[in-house]
Amino acid sequence: MSRDIFIVSNSVDELGGVTTWSHQMAGLLTDRGHRVHIVGIAPVAEEIRQKLPQDLPYAMTTLYDTHPPKARHLRGIKGRLNAPERRRQAARRAQMRAKAEKLNELFRAAGPGAVVIVTQVWAMEWVALADTKGLGVIGMSHESFEASQKSTRADRVRRHYREVDRLLVLTPEDADLWIRAGMENVGSMPNPLPFMPDSPAPRTEKVVASVGRLAFEKGVDLLLDAWADAAPHHPDWVLRIYGAGVEEPALRAHAAGLGLTDSVEWMGSTDDVLGALRGASVFAQASRAEGFPITLLEAMAAGVPVAAFDCAPGVREIVAHGEDGLLARLGNTMELAGHLDVLMSDRALRDRLGDNAFRSVQRYSSAEITDRWEELFSFLER
Amino acid sequence: MPDVSVVVIVYNDAERLPTAVQSVLDQTLHGVEVVIVDDCSKDRSYAVAQELEAAHPGRVRAFRLPENSGGCGAPRNHGIRQATGTYVMFLDSDDVLERNACRNMLAAAERTGSDLVSGMCVRVHLDNRWGKTTEWYPWIYSRTRTLESITEDPDLLVYDTLSTNKCYRRAFLLEQGLEFPVGIHYEDLLFSAQAYVAARRITLIPNHVYYWNVVEKASAKSISNRRHEIANFVHRMEIHRRVDELLAAKGHTDIKSAKDAKFLKHDLVLHLRDLPLLSDEYRQEFARLANGYLEGIDPAAYENVTYLQAICAYLLGKEDWDNLLPAADAMTNKGRLTSPLAERDGRVYWCAEHIDGPDGDEARRILDVTGQAFHTTPLTSLALGNRLTSYEDDGRGTVTVSGSVVNPLGRIPADAQLSATLEFRARRQIGVRSFSFPVATVRHAGDTIEWTATADVAGTVRPLGIIDAVWDVRLKLNAGGTRLTTRVSVGGVDLESAARLRVRPRLTRLVSDRFAPEVTKKGNLSYVLTAEGAAAVRTQTLISSAMHGRAAGVVKRGLRKALRARRNLGSGEQKVKVYHEVFSKLPIKKGTVVFESHMGKQYSDSPKAIYEEMVRQGVPFEAVWSYAGGKPTGFPKDATLVRRWSWPYLRALAQAEFWVDNQGFPLALTKREGTTYIQTWHGSALKRMGFHEPRTKAQGKAGQDRFQAAVNRFDHFLIRSEHDARTLAKGFRLRDEVLLRTGYPRNDALVEAHRAESQSGERVRGPLAAELGIDPEKKVLLYAPTFRANADGAVEGFEFPFDVEEFAERLGDRFTLLVRTHYLNSVSLPPSVAGRVIDVSRHHDITPLLALADGLITDYSSVMFDYSVLDRPMLFFAYDYEKYATDIRGTYFDLKEKAPGPVVATADELLQALAAFDEADAKYAEARQRFLTEFGEYDRGDAARQIVEKFFTGSRK
Repeated sequence: MSRDIFIVSNSVDELGGVTTWSHQMAGLLTDRGHRVHIVGIAPVAEEIRQKLPQDLPYAMTTLYDTHPPKARHLRGIKGRLNAPERRRQAARRAQMRAKAEKLNELFRAAGPGAVVIVTQVWAMEWVALADTKGLGVIGMSHESFEASQKSTRADRVRRHYREVDRLLVLTPEDADLWIRAGMENVGSMPNPLPFMPDSPAPRTEKVVASVGRLAFEKGVDLLLDAWADAAPHHPDWVLRIYGAGVEEPALRAHAAGLGLTDSVEWMGSTDDVLGALRGASVFAQASRAEGFPITLLEAMAAGVPVAAFDCAPGVREIVAHGEDGLLARLGNTMELAGHLDVLMSDRALRDRLGDNAFRSVQRYSSAEITDRWEELFSFLER
Repeated sequence: MPDVSVVVIVYNDAERLPTAVQSVLDQTLHGVEVVIVDDCSKDRSYAVAQELEAAHPGRVRAFRLPENSGGCGAPRNHGIRQATGTYVMFLDSDDVLERNACRNMLAAAERTGSDLVSGMCVRVHLDNRWGKTTEWYPWIYSRTRTLESITEDPDLLVYDTLSTNKCYRRAFLLEQGLEFPVGIHYEDLLFSAQAYVAARRITLIPNHVYYWNVVEKASAKSISNRRHEIANFVHRMEIHRRVDELLAAKGHTDIKSAKDAKFLKHDLVLHLRDLPLLSDEYRQEFARLANGYLEGIDPAAYENVTYLQAICAYLLGKEDWDNLLPAADAMTNKGRLTSPLAERDGRVYWCAEHIDGPDGDEARRILDVTGQAFHTTPLTSLALGNRLTSYEDDGRGTVTVSGSVVNPLGRIPADAQLSATLEFRARRQIGVRSFSFPVATVRHAGDTIEWTATADVAGTVRPLGIIDAVWDVRLKLNAGGTRLTTRVSVGGVDLESAARLRVRPRLTRLVSDRFAPEVTKKGNLSYVLTAEGAAAVRTQTLISSAMHGRAAGVVKRGLRKALRARRNLGSGEQKVKVYHEVFSKLPIKKGTVVFESHMGKQYSDSPKAIYEEMVRQGVPFEAVWSYAGGKPTGFPKDATLVRRWSWPYLRALAQAEFWVDNQGFPLALTKREGTTYIQTWHGSALKRMGFHEPRTKAQGKAGQDRFQAAVNRFDHFLIRSEHDARTLAKGFRLRDEVLLRTGYPRNDALVEAHRAESQSGERVRGPLAAELGIDPEKKVLLYAPTFRANADGAVEGFEFPFDVEEFAERLGDRFTLLVRTHYLNSVSLPPSVAGRVIDVSRHHDITPLLALADGLITDYSSVMFDYSVLDRPMLFFAYDYEKYATDIRGTYFDLKEKAPGPVVATADELLQALAAFDEADAKYAEARQRFLTEFGEYDRGDAARQIVEKFFTGSRK
């Protein structure tokens, strides 16, 4: 059946994974005949805005014209006496109710079987004020359980998503963690693949590639440590690091300190990830934290065998160690070096893991994931 | 057709039935139906069921059995027959389902195609003031998983024997003809076992699905009630037999073995706990039933239970009540030693009985408790059993109690001066805390210490009332200066007929007026405040009803907060705050030096060597030594001693001019500008350290920054070689100017010993050899292994990687083996090796031991670097080198390549290498020299002198 589907996010076009995901899913669901409407709560500043195509086949609405003031809890006597702030907060709440009314208008116009997908917990605060009777409400958390716990989001997820029909997280393992943390309405849904090449990469170049921002949590320093252990056995191989970021000078110094100046190439950021991957034979990722790492998916979709730290449920979910990639314990650079070493040494292993990855990652194909969404919509009506 | 049918059974429970049914109607899954089956109740249950049916047509149906079946089986079976849903679940009328239970069960069932989905049951303690809930076997349900067969996880069948937290495919129940047995208790056990075994696939989900409401106080039964339990035990044994038959028929021997282990661990314990209170007749009947069953138990099951569980089962088999009851007490109170023990042929046994008889071999196998270290653990660290032998009162307020404390292996000598006090102590420590009574007689009686005390409880014990309702009784025994605190276990003494004592709480007799002796859950003596007078009863009723109101909620939260605040006062967080905000504002005391070795655990190592050098040179300074744990022993008398993390410790650190330690003062404490931190460190590195460790690499930014800040406190860092500069200094990211190339002060003594030995040509054993009672004819070997940790850094317990008794037997006439575990570990040697193997782990300082040893056996401990200074033979017992070196932590060099002595991998090789000890000595002389040059070039015997000169007597002053 064809449904009205509202995808509600903090904004419709903020640069980042959630926006990419929302528009990808909106396109996929529109193709299946659903009427999709992307709703953003507030606009974002120019410099963090993602460029969207002009003629999107679905509707887009942003509730606020400017970003609403920050919510503040006024506690104690000092808070009580802070009259200007109290007025601001009261006005904010009134505004929220007005904007929720705007959501109600949209929701009222929807046909039976309509669904609201809330991609971020902040946006849920508005959806919770709206009247969603007769609509299915699905909340989402697009990060690992651990990442939520380290921020205020874990508490907000618990508070605002408690009554939704389903809270979707990235992996079954994250779902279990949320369940053990007291949420009983949790399921999981992986992200769909961004691209699906027809054939695996040729894997002929003596290149190990890494793609990602040069930031502490991406662990490029650890990748260099591992590379320092592995590279001396393979003087004809190079490590190509794609990406840019604040850590770049420190990382370059670190590489120089390890004597890797000749075997590491700093490529800067790239728009052609697939091209970068097709020019490599091994993909390495040494992140300290991840959600459902899209670069890992991309490497596997390109048929490049991966070696990565097992830093999050999302990584374990995507890579089956020894089957379609190799995983090392987080921080154990000796183990990661061992994996790189064996991948560089063993052509047959590279081909086997790469081909397996190319095949197994199809379980996240856009068709497969869209099917799962449609099944979920029906299930929640039972 | 509904997705799920929930069969709700009811018997005489009209009041609660609607709540149970409503919990089904409120499910987030809409496609559910309720099938109510009334077991022919005598109350309005069926009428209520019919009303519910009328109110929810099509969703609720009500049925009634023609006559009462007396159990849960028959009504549930009826419910299965009436259900129409694709899946079936069971609910009892006094419980409720979690709101999402059906949806979560259905989602799992459809995703996996399982015949059976099981979720977590939660026990809700209705009579608990704080709304306590406990999860039922949470370790089984820690994550979602699907089993193709129950054989993949026998524990599921063995532990979770409930039928109610599960969702069954109805067609599966019908095809397999699964039904509950009728006319027997514990029907769940058999039904769930049958379902598990028959299921083609089973999915477990971590969700809470079923709330099992329990009222605990109702189960606090009197003795007469317990006597009826023999009937229950008959039922239980019968059900077990039927489950065993089922498992045998299907050939599930693994499950049977796991089930047997659980029987020993749980079922038996449950009943043993009550035994002290019951008559001989009951005990015999119990033993007959239990032993009949125990005979069929897989002997392998004994491998998977604790030593005490095995001992209890064995003693029950022998019907040795005198030894069984204390053993059962020990099992209920973990860590308590309730038996005087016995020693035979160098081994320690639980009791003296059985082990000398004709089947002594089996008895010795089971009763051997040498590994529990009862014979070597300090008495003060043992929780000795103390059994009540008599209890009398005057009907008003005075009691006379006698008891008997275990004296294990006669470790309390007959001539020890004995005294004791009996202490009443409020369990909740608020305000008034404890009252003590002198114990009139304390007498040494060989295996036990007998005591009798008369206490005027009414006149002395003044509780506050309400808040401190429970008081525990403890005996504090002083045996020749050794202070031992014991709880008093009631055992077979009858307290039911004992009088409730009068008591006068500080909040007056209006709140409570009686002090009733009571047996705690673990069988110990305690007193509980109760009400007898009309006024007190009224107040109690008032209080208990008020405890559930909204106002009470506020008070309870407030009380909890206050309690937490009080606990926080002494917490690390608070202390760190005071350290920074108060102590660090005080002026620095010139000439104050705070020393610490291995986080206060020892008076040893380079801090000791520096301290002693300062004393020797007569440097004017104020010494403060930090110690960990209770009472410091072996620390210098001239220094001020402060307990680690105590207020004086923090203050001393804040005001010190110098910090000297070998490992690290608490990371959270910032070092002040004016304080100089001399980090001596405690050994050259084989394994990767600091930022080179995988564990540190895995840390987040904040964690790494904290660590860096902590090591940045080091103003000076001592090294023994350029190897240290390449490894340790890099691992801690130290600047080069921080490094002091002096060598280790602790090794000055070794350099000196080596020098003296090469000059005189002979090795002189110091006073330590005599102190340890070492035979001058025998060579001394020191075994000093390092600790092992898992990937998280948690330290694993020490176990001998070779048979120490075999060593004593084969080589004990040539060698004396000194065993020194890492300070994070400990060891207990069997009495059999006495004189041939000596535990020297508790010696503070290893240096004199190194100087004494004619040879060293180690694995990867940094003592190898220090010992090489002596140029004596070394042996490397690297039985897990691959794992140690490459798996978890990594090493800086390959030990096998550089080791200055044979590297062996098995216990056999070790004993062989020891036999050929003298040859190895000469063969490795050159390698030892190379090793010393590479790793100890700066150890020249003057390290302490250099340090003292540089910082304390040099031009600076």
